[in-house]
Amino acid sequence: MSKIKISLLIVISISIFLISLYLGPNVINPFHINDIEKEILFSIRLPRVIVAALMGMALGASGAVLQAILKNPLADPYILGISSGAAVSAAFGLLSGSYLFGKFGIPLTAFAGACIVSVVVGAFGWKHGRMLPERLLLAGVGLSFLFSAVLMLLISMSSSEGIRRAVLWIFGDLSIADWSMIPYGVVFITAGLCISIFRAKALNALMLGDDLAHSLGFSVHKERLLLFISVSLMTSASVSLGGTIGFIGLLIPHIVRFITGADNRILIPLSAVCGGAFLCISDLIGRSIVSPMEIPSGIITAIIGSPYFLYLLRKKDVLGT
Amino acid sequence: MYSEHNPPILELDSLGFRYFKDKPFINDLNFSVGDGELIGLLGANGSGKSTILKLASGILRPAEGQIKLWGKPLHLYKNKDRAKLLCYLPQLLDINLPFKVRELVSMGLYPYDIPPEIRVDEALEMVGLLEKAESNITNLSGGERRRAFIAMTLIQGAGLLLLDEPLANLDIKYQMEIQRLLRELRVKKNISIIMALHDINFALQFDKVMLIKEGRILGIGKPEAVLTNDLLKEALDVNLEIKRQDSGGTFISYGNNF
Repeated sequence: MSKIKISLLIVISISIFLISLYLGPNVINPFHINDIEKEILFSIRLPRVIVAALMGMALGASGAVLQAILKNPLADPYILGISSGAAVSAAFGLLSGSYLFGKFGIPLTAFAGACIVSVVVGAFGWKHGRMLPERLLLAGVGLSFLFSAVLMLLISMSSSEGIRRAVLWIFGDLSIADWSMIPYGVVFITAGLCISIFRAKALNALMLGDDLAHSLGFSVHKERLLLFISVSLMTSASVSLGGTIGFIGLLIPHIVRFITGADNRILIPLSAVCGGAFLCISDLIGRSIVSPMEIPSGIITAIIGSPYFLYLLRKKDVLGT
Repeated sequence: MYSEHNPPILELDSLGFRYFKDKPFINDLNFSVGDGELIGLLGANGSGKSTILKLASGILRPAEGQIKLWGKPLHLYKNKDRAKLLCYLPQLLDINLPFKVRELVSMGLYPYDIPPEIRVDEALEMVGLLEKAESNITNLSGGERRRAFIAMTLIQGAGLLLLDEPLANLDIKYQMEIQRLLRELRVKKNISIIMALHDINFALQFDKVMLIKEGRILGIGKPEAVLTNDLLKEALDVNLEIKRQDSGGTFISYGNNF
């Protein structure tokens, strides 16, 4: 039964990925493509859908990992402050309007900010040679507040065009996606995904408690550090690809857990697949519903996600509380 | 007792440990565990039972002394190799686990790349949970949950089990069942077991008991030799009476403590 459910989820996700390529403000018939449509498909839609899929995969998988490491059903990839740090550094660059690296400017600054914040949060979470989940969580929440304040300060001091772009980016702006950003996104997200999938057994054991994980033959603090690095890589790459998009990292792991169970060996890859599909469809809605204007994907995921999340909160079993 | 051909499975040699820098908690602790021995660890709350088990399992690192497992220093084992030889079950178990009983129990096979031929169903049957194999852990009672963890411990297949109050939260039937099961394992598979417990009457049935007070051993040996009125008074700060039955057995009476 479980295998059927898993296969069904994968088939639906792949279908969504393909549908998002051909649907949109202009519907493209895959069997009759003219030159203009070919150009739209390969230069605009395909990179955009790939970026959406990559970001969604990163967020879904890192949400699943974080909920398990922090033993907190409300954890999502942004709870560690990595995204806020990335947002501040990217917004700083956006608002100042001077980028050294051309179109790589936003992702590069965001990625650098995310990496620096990951190291800072990791350092706060590290005590007596151990990575302590409670300290990680509190450090992340504390830094998020600080970065949000700095972000607001930057926005309040900037010009109107700067504000619009920064706000769009903060809510997830996939319109800036192009091929140039994809290779490094693939590298970092694949690396993070591989680490988390290969360490999924250890993550299962960590959920039983540190002592039992040790008894089952895992080096508790090394495993936690590796998993933290995988989450940092995926979140940093995701934020730098297209800004901060909420709810995927929180919701998708819960939905997948509800369908297939909590074994991280299945949960992490499936959360990645479903996260990718969910962001593809959110982006499709965002760019089609009020065309030619666009609604940032982060707003769509939140509008779909919030009511469902509140519904989940009422379901005891799903959140495991 | 031990020889070159029959070395102790676990040796704790002049072990010292402190939670705070200037306050030793365990001092000069020495004991060893032989093949197939069932040892009861008794003492008041906070006497150091759990700390000793955590030291012996490698969770805590001793400040002084050495621990040897099958003749080799414990810290030289790779984690996976150690897990195949030694298994620790903590006293406090997480109650909010999102796993099913079967998933939890099969985690006992994690140390193995190629799992040994132990069936999860067999372990579940041993602890009386086969019917609840597909239930969520959160839906089990406290005692059932503990039995599920014991099944996981059994499936791990280690030759030395360190169990921290495994009988807590179990009703009397399952306290006896688990004890019977552990004795059976000891006889069939020659497994050695150290178990922290509070029930002195159960401890009287063990091969060996160790009475702990403030991180040091008050007495170690056959239960009749260690569980004397005086030592129990010193360890637990309460007057208990050892009574002999006509059949030859002994039991602890609470006397006039109430």
